[in-house]
Amino acid sequence: MFKELDPILHSQLRLAVVSLLISVKEAEFTFIKEKTGATAGNLSVQLGKLKDAGYIDVTKQFKDNYPLTLCKISKKGVEAFEEYVNALQSYMKPNTDSKD
Amino acid sequence: MQQPMDELNSLQLIESMINKAKNRFSESGTLYIIWGIVVLVCSLVQFAGTMWFNYPPVQYIWMLTWVMLIYQVFYLRKKKKSSTVKTYTDEIIGYVWICFVITLWLMSFILIMNDAGKLLLASILVIYGIPTFLSGIILHFRPLIVGGISCWLLSLSTVVIKEPYHILLISVAMLAAWIIPGVLLRNKFINENSHAR
Repeated sequence: MFKELDPILHSQLRLAVVSLLISVKEAEFTFIKEKTGATAGNLSVQLGKLKDAGYIDVTKQFKDNYPLTLCKISKKGVEAFEEYVNALQSYMKPNTDSKD
Repeated sequence: MQQPMDELNSLQLIESMINKAKNRFSESGTLYIIWGIVVLVCSLVQFAGTMWFNYPPVQYIWMLTWVMLIYQVFYLRKKKKSSTVKTYTDEIIGYVWICFVITLWLMSFILIMNDAGKLLLASILVIYGIPTFLSGIILHFRPLIVGGISCWLLSLSTVVIKEPYHILLISVAMLAAWIIPGVLLRNKFINENSHAR
């Protein structure tokens, strides 16, 4: 039986953000924007969706009088990401088996 | 980034984003080079002052390390401000060096208070080796690993080298463990960051 893919993560930009955040402790909005190549508007919307799902924690601060958005993956986000990867692997396995 | 994805695309995307985060090399080597030069100069001046000029106040040259400490506080604050990401590697290395400073101060205090000052430089060499070696392991940077091992070998050599010359072993350790690896780290940092742009 194939596991269902998490619709929150099964979107290119949201998956890119979570994959990036899983590798670092925390990242600023500018770092995520640079690495994903997304526009600021689109990224804000997708970060909002991940935050609403409880997958990331978003903290707003000020640095040198400029607003600063810090993002960090949550425990729920890590679990969701692991489940998503497991589900992907279950989809991939039958293909690799058939090649052998 | 909003085209439909199949499973293979998803895995490729995950892999590419993890690599983008992983390949970010943030250690510029600046503090290794500056600290290395400061301690090298202090140790050489102390050796020359005590051995050739018989001038005990020369030990006050070590006050330079306090100036360096103040500079480091400003440098790290500036670096933190300009950094847009905090990695687990940066954090672990930071804690390794905090342990080093605490151990160095405690060990120096305990040895001096117990009239075991002649073991001070050998102990310092042992302690220098620990953060250098660990940083090399964490950063996957061989020159730092070699530098850490060099410190331990130099500490062993204090058994056969006469005490007045122990301070010169500190000078050699600075070259092997901090200055040379620091320059190589700097080259790697410049190289990788110019490729990333």
